Amino acid sequence: MDPSEVEFLAEKELVKIIPNFSLDKVFLIGGDLGPFNPGLPIDVPVWLALNLKQRQKCRIIPPEWMDVEKLEEMRDLERKEDMFTPVPSPYYMELTKLLLNHASDNIPKADEIRTLVKDIWDTRIAKLRLSTDSFISQQEAYAKLDNLTLMEINTIRAFLLDTLNCMYKLRSNVQ
Amino acid sequence: MSDALSDDGSDFNQDGTQEDVMTPAELIAKLEEAWLNEKFSPELLENKSEVVECVMEQLTHMESNLQRVKKGDAKASIHRMEIDRIRYVLSSYLRSRLQKIEKYFPHVLEREKSRGEGEPSLLSPEEFAFAKEYYANTESYLKAVALKRMPSNLQTVDMLKAVPEPCLDSFVFLRVKERQENILVEPETEDQREYVVDLEEGSQHLMRYRTIAPLVSSGAVQLI
Repeated sequence: MDPSEVEFLAEKELVKIIPNFSLDKVFLIGGDLGPFNPGLPIDVPVWLALNLKQRQKCRIIPPEWMDVEKLEEMRDLERKEDMFTPVPSPYYMELTKLLLNHASDNIPKADEIRTLVKDIWDTRIAKLRLSTDSFISQQEAYAKLDNLTLMEINTIRAFLLDTLNCMYKLRSNVQ
Repeated sequence: MSDALSDDGSDFNQDGTQEDVMTPAELIAKLEEAWLNEKFSPELLENKSEVVECVMEQLTHMESNLQRVKKGDAKASIHRMEIDRIRYVLSSYLRSRLQKIEKYFPHVLEREKSRGEGEPSLLSPEEFAFAKEYYANTESYLKAVALKRMPSNLQTVDMLKAVPEPCLDSFVFLRVKERQENILVEPETEDQREYVVDLEEGSQHLMRYRTIAPLVSSGAVQLI
């Protein structure tokens, strides 16, 4: 799966915006949105929020977890634990990138948040690399990966699945 | 004054052939699930033609509404973006199916031929016609290019043996939607023993496709 396809899935998440226009209810195939009133916050999917922001029709409100103290706590917890800790959002990496690229003026301390999320990501990817290594070398047949996000799984998907399939073929031909 | 775009699609549910009435939102969710499952599964999955047809209906309905509205309407652009997104998922789904049909065409046709009466079909009528044409074209190509120059007792090719089967023992990532107990995990090497695991709802796992294949078709797990 392409990272842009993971981003496509992440864009379905809801985010709060404050529109500066008014529009009555929109009946999308995927659900109803609105009505939009200037100055009143409303939840919309990220793909719409980004489009409206680019046309300067709204302000984006950062999600609750996108806060410096909370992210610092999560980063420290992630560094302490051996296992994967629960994530702020199943799409934290994509949302951070999208919201900080398009709406950094609406998000306080954008640079610090970027650094913190990158730290969390690096720690998790390092843990993932270690556990992948032990999975392959001990020839396990099953793994539980509860707190992993789709983006993290996607980074090792191609390599891991191909390796495991090759090893299986080699093993079954020897027997 | 009726707004062409304020039609909330509720007339979709009046289609008498639908046995379980789904909201459009549920329909789109089902399409996305089918898309992900098809993308990550090593074999061709059951055909979801009702979902595909209903989604096409919704899309054409919405597009004809949009045609009637004047350009530059704020709502129209929002609807158009949504249509593009749904269209992408639908074409990606159909494309992965076609890729698998081309890759495993003799086995797909064999499975379709040997399925029981009441079982759901693997291929839609168009996909079936495509698979048969592909088979016939490949056969005639091989004959014209190489086989007719071979000695006469070597001029046939058994397609089922010539084309590799999908590898059902590939590993897949999955997320559990309904709790499952006692799923057997087979050992990789000879000194390991097989053991059972319980799959909790909402958890994610990495295991062989073969053991969980029936769970994918029943919708109890989702490939990710």
